[in-house]
Amino acid sequence: MSSANPTAAASGAGQRARSGRGLLRFLARRLAAAVLLCAGITLVAFVLTQLVPGDPATANLGQRAIGDPAAVAAFRAKYGLDRPVPLQYLTYLGNLLQGNLGMSQQSHRAVAQDLAEYVPATIELALFAIVLSLLVGVALGVVAAVNRDRWPDQVLRVVSLGGVSMPTFWVALVAFYLLFFKFGLLPGGGRLDPGMNAPPHLTGFYTVDAALGGQWDVWWSAVRHLVLPSLVLAVYTVGMLMRFTRASVLEILGNDYVRAARAKGLPERVVIMRHVLRPAMVAIITVAGVAFGSLLSGAVLVENIFSWPGLGQYAYHSAVNLDLPAIMGVSVVVAAVYIVMNLLVDLLYGVIDPRIRLT
Amino acid sequence: MKIRSAGLLTAAIALSSLLAACGGGSTPTSTSSQAGGGTLVIDTAFQLKTADPGRMFEPTGLMVDESIYDTLLTFKGSDVTKPVPALAESYTAAPDGKTFTFKLRTGATFSDGSPVTAADVVFSLNRVKNLKGNPSFLMDGLTVAAPDPGTVVITSEKANAAVPFILPNPALGILNSAVAKQHGATDAEGADKSDTAESFLNSQSLGSGPYTLSSFSTTTQVVLTANEKYWGTKPAYSKVVVRNVQANVQRLNVLKGESQIAVDLSPDQAKGLDQLQVVNGASPNVFFLFTNNNPDISKTSSNAKFQEAVRYGIDYKGLLDLAGQGAVQAPGIVPSIFLGALADTDAVVRDVARAKAALAASGVQNPTVKLSYPSDIQVNGLNFGDLAARVQANLKEVGITVNLAPASVQTALDTYRGGKEELGLWEWGPDYPDPSDYLNFLPGQLVGLRAGWAKGTDAALEKLGEQAASTIDDQQRAALYKQIQQSMNESGPIMPLIQPAQILVGAKSLKNLQSNALWQVNVRELG
Repeated sequence: MSSANPTAAASGAGQRARSGRGLLRFLARRLAAAVLLCAGITLVAFVLTQLVPGDPATANLGQRAIGDPAAVAAFRAKYGLDRPVPLQYLTYLGNLLQGNLGMSQQSHRAVAQDLAEYVPATIELALFAIVLSLLVGVALGVVAAVNRDRWPDQVLRVVSLGGVSMPTFWVALVAFYLLFFKFGLLPGGGRLDPGMNAPPHLTGFYTVDAALGGQWDVWWSAVRHLVLPSLVLAVYTVGMLMRFTRASVLEILGNDYVRAARAKGLPERVVIMRHVLRPAMVAIITVAGVAFGSLLSGAVLVENIFSWPGLGQYAYHSAVNLDLPAIMGVSVVVAAVYIVMNLLVDLLYGVIDPRIRLT
Repeated sequence: MKIRSAGLLTAAIALSSLLAACGGGSTPTSTSSQAGGGTLVIDTAFQLKTADPGRMFEPTGLMVDESIYDTLLTFKGSDVTKPVPALAESYTAAPDGKTFTFKLRTGATFSDGSPVTAADVVFSLNRVKNLKGNPSFLMDGLTVAAPDPGTVVITSEKANAAVPFILPNPALGILNSAVAKQHGATDAEGADKSDTAESFLNSQSLGSGPYTLSSFSTTTQVVLTANEKYWGTKPAYSKVVVRNVQANVQRLNVLKGESQIAVDLSPDQAKGLDQLQVVNGASPNVFFLFTNNNPDISKTSSNAKFQEAVRYGIDYKGLLDLAGQGAVQAPGIVPSIFLGALADTDAVVRDVARAKAALAASGVQNPTVKLSYPSDIQVNGLNFGDLAARVQANLKEVGITVNLAPASVQTALDTYRGGKEELGLWEWGPDYPDPSDYLNFLPGQLVGLRAGWAKGTDAALEKLGEQAASTIDDQQRAALYKQIQQSMNESGPIMPLIQPAQILVGAKSLKNLQSNALWQVNVRELG
């Protein structure tokens, strides 16, 4: 949790030094809390996986191999399932401290290797969606607020209600059918056209890796494949951001300093952009941070429909295969993403609104 | 001002990308499907863990590895009743059914150009055995020897006529042993702990088949490239992309020309696709119901007369409505495409009067039983939940109350494999296309035990099973397996229900598209 105290902006070297030390203390506290939080999440995830009525050996071995005691014993030994449960957890924690997330039972690879492949795919998609959502959602939210109770506001309220109400998987299916199948405006599933080789792995973001490698045909394919799933994901977040932006802007529009700015004769565009939208961004960024986290962890259905090889699909396959190391790995990554997002949001408060200082 | 400037710039970039991307969408995204150098795209819902043949036993893995690795024998097209030569140009079986001698083809080479030898065969098969993985049971009771570089001898502990039907399994694909050893492969005992070649075999292939592995992902796609040094007829495609796509999207992709083959369409989804070719093969999967024969699990379900009531209370023909066109009632537990399958006329026919009489004779008043099944999977487009609901309705007419107990497949598997289900609804896919695989359904065997059918419960049937397992002559085997199934249709806890259709939908331009019971698509034979 942050402790964000609005204080009067001050100048002077002593003040800046105190502020710098405050920021460091804040970061240190947050980092310590993050480590504890991650450890707690591993414990919760581990306990939950143990409570699930199912056996990883049954889930992963075939119909004949499960009847072969030697095959079952080999499986249990390979994944450490033959050891006492508390020891399994402690071993996991010990390995985690060394960056070892274990071996996936479904992909037969290191979980870290799997995550390095799937997490960037989801982050790339979520970034595309959140940027799109911020641009559209904030702009429409402002339009709705400044036209309060007039027809643009009424229309946009219906639009935002639709955005947050429509099930994402349904939007995905309709969008896939119309934009890909019916009108052929956008490519279908996957991150690239069929048969196209992925760019050399540098960041895992195909758009970035392809650009760095000068593979512009791959870059173009990657961008085109991002559009449809990110549009679908953006439908919900646009609706949400529009509502929050509208509410924040309306609240700020009533402040004295806005009236003063208008009285000074500033153009309405400047009043809105500089004196209204900027303070409103504090609330908007908070919502956007949470939305980005949920895009990362909640894009399962969209990833499935668009054959997007991301974290959502990996999490789903891990769950149905009772792939314990992968489930734990996904839990740790999602927790880490939320922690980092919250931290970034807290830091952004200070950037957007100088009255806010982190202590 | 900075916020505004940055926002406007980002907006401009994002919108221009979006518009440009949409505008460029009219360019076809599908790749060429023409024979002789194009790319073939196959869409399937992945069931894939590895490309290492020694560890692989999932449907998508079978399809992929069949294109990469040659086996001693194989099956042509959809015919799984007759093993044909592959790396072995011929073989002989000793009259005792225990020794099989294979003469290797000369001129067969791996993708690096080195020749395939008997030593490679011995290494590959022993590795499968000693890895103790999913396919290891294929080598149960078998030993492999290479008396000379061109001969392989496989010896079975017991007479085993199924050996030629087991060997075409892609899990028994032959690896280039010299290169495999360099990358951590071993065929020695303890290979389950010491073999470290899997990650290498998921990045490169070491086979002698028409394609080689270019890239591999268990969630996205597998890319195969034509093997330039393939010893047989050159493959028709320079590249084959197998993509992980869910069924309803597969349909749109194949219609749009984005893919050339859709593997997982249900009969309903395959309707009305006149512009495509629809291959309606018989699935080797058999759905069956069991009533647990173990009185400790349930006094009701283990009652022989109750079992008779269930057997004759089910409307088998009515169940076919759920499975769509191409599905048939399973007259016995052995699928219709295998040796020893029963004729349609041998199937159990619903007889409600007989079922009610049997229920009255059982002495069980107003029975209520629990039917367990996996609720989150479909097989050949057939949903277990729909089937279970229909069984429930059928048995209600007889006077049996069935409470449905759906569970996720992993949870349900646990209780099923533990033999704890009162009534269970499951399916069996063949491990190899031979009726001996179905001896697992007899008392004391793998599936029999799951249905609480203990060894010694039906001595006559068990004796027939032993006799069938050790018989070599195909005619005699067929007769024995039919006898076994007729007996199972008379009494016992296991009731075969449905053999669904296995549908492949492909572009009309594809030549020789056939559905194979083991590896689904005959990729290497496609033209």
